[in-house]
Amino acid sequence: MQKLIRQHWWKALGVLILIYVFIAGMLIPLKPGITLVNPSSTRTDTEVVVEVEGYNTNFDQAGESIRMWLKMDDERSIAAQQIEVLGPTKAKAAFRIPAYLPSQQKVQDFALIIDNPVDGATVRPNAVLVTQDSIDQELGEQQWKNDPLTNLHVRDGITFPFRNILGETIRNTYFHVSLWLAMMIIFIAAVVYSIRHLRTLSLDYDYWASSLTAVGLLLGGLGLFTGGIWAQYTWGTFWSWDIKQFTTLIALLIYLAYFVLRRAFPDEAQRARISAVYNIFAFVALIPLIYVLPRLTDSLHPGNGGNPALGGEDLDNTMRMVFYPAVIGWTLIGSWIASLMYRSNKIEEQLMDQWEE
Amino acid sequence: MNMLQQTLRLLWRDWVLEWRTRYALSGILLYVFATIVLVYSALLDIQPQVWNALFWVIILFAAVSAIVKSFVQESQQRQLYYYSLVHPLALLVAKMIYNTSLLFLLSLLSWLVLAFLTGNPVKDTGLFVLAIFLGSMGLAIAFTFISAISAKAQNSATLMAVLGFPVIIPILLILVKIGANALRLMQDTAIGGDIIILVAINLILLSVSILLYPFLWRD
Repeated sequence: MQKLIRQHWWKALGVLILIYVFIAGMLIPLKPGITLVNPSSTRTDTEVVVEVEGYNTNFDQAGESIRMWLKMDDERSIAAQQIEVLGPTKAKAAFRIPAYLPSQQKVQDFALIIDNPVDGATVRPNAVLVTQDSIDQELGEQQWKNDPLTNLHVRDGITFPFRNILGETIRNTYFHVSLWLAMMIIFIAAVVYSIRHLRTLSLDYDYWASSLTAVGLLLGGLGLFTGGIWAQYTWGTFWSWDIKQFTTLIALLIYLAYFVLRRAFPDEAQRARISAVYNIFAFVALIPLIYVLPRLTDSLHPGNGGNPALGGEDLDNTMRMVFYPAVIGWTLIGSWIASLMYRSNKIEEQLMDQWEE
Repeated sequence: MNMLQQTLRLLWRDWVLEWRTRYALSGILLYVFATIVLVYSALLDIQPQVWNALFWVIILFAAVSAIVKSFVQESQQRQLYYYSLVHPLALLVAKMIYNTSLLFLLSLLSWLVLAFLTGNPVKDTGLFVLAIFLGSMGLAIAFTFISAISAKAQNSATLMAVLGFPVIIPILLILVKIGANALRLMQDTAIGGDIIILVAINLILLSVSILLYPFLWRD
């Protein structure tokens, strides 16, 4: 450790990784998406003209080659009869909805698929809801004229996925989520140093534990702040008493209490020992708070109450290329700050000793 | 004396001390009456939801006021004398058992008084008694250990509140949920899972306290 804090390669690595994260995370464009479909509901046996608004799309460049479908399930889809391009992100498409659908449902949902050579294929699930005036599945199957999805294009280049509610805020994954993971790593390191302090009673380990805890608190505060901004755009308010927001606040209070406790003891050895004991106790109390309770209650966060979890479709391979480095980068920068605090604590201690002599 | 005998002896001593002064018992009755009168005069009608919240607030403050003196009421010199007589862990475990039983009794008492004054909204008595017992145990374990920490400093009552409240929030969250189930405010078929988690939190806090106490008591 003493050697490592004098070396510069890992600090430089941390800075480089974060520069990469900021550049890649902010500049790589999102995949084209569909933000608006109007009207979003219609009836059977009609000619419906759907107004489509795209995001990051180039309908005007694609021109005549643009194609659209309403997809009912994996086998059945209806192609647009006429498409009118109004601009790079605006288009109108006319669909003929048959009188009977091969479905038992009163309201059948259709996904809208747009394909062109410039943007590749984009999908909006549940884009149009069709209400059936009368249900006859067999007649629907007989009369169905299928237009299969053929020759779909794939967009070239590196992109992040487009998600309907998230939009551009999907980039916050590299800050909010990775700050949070880095905080957990730093807190675990702080607990390890607390345990080492209790085993050896060396004050060095106590300086490490308190510096790491302070950095963890900083990262946690930043995680809460970036989460609040994200919540403002996706859930509508900075703070909605979501169980994870609540438990995070409590977790940060526990670590603030750690510093209140440290202030209460003038004697260094006693302060070190008792705050190490509290740090371990608080960390153990934190585990149910962060990992168990949020899974029992409904939450707006992904991975709770039926929302999809991180991973799967939410974190595709391009995002992984930025997300995992971000975790490492924040952890390295956090360690750097902690090592600076550790050294300043050491110097302070030595100066105090000299002054007392 | 072996450790079990020491623990029982210390437990008996704590109970005798409480019975002589009846400090905690009279304190909790004051809490219950003051809270009920205040809330009643403000709301004029106490709904089961409010009742559930009130009950756990009373238990929380009763726990703080009863347990804060665990390690403070005796001087450092007398503590040292105890440690020379008995195993330090026996002292901690005895305090925890005493605080659990005291808090359990106080909870039953305040339930009785609350029910007398506002009617008893508890539909599932067994579940509610279980919640009270596990809650008393969790609060007693966490607060006893925190009071052992804060007793080392001056101004320990404030310090205990600052250190203790965030730590017991998970226990309180689960207790309010089980309480709401016992009052039939909500129906949760998976309430067994919550009870198991509460038991697990209690056991983890207990084992961590026992592991860490040897580092705490010597000075």
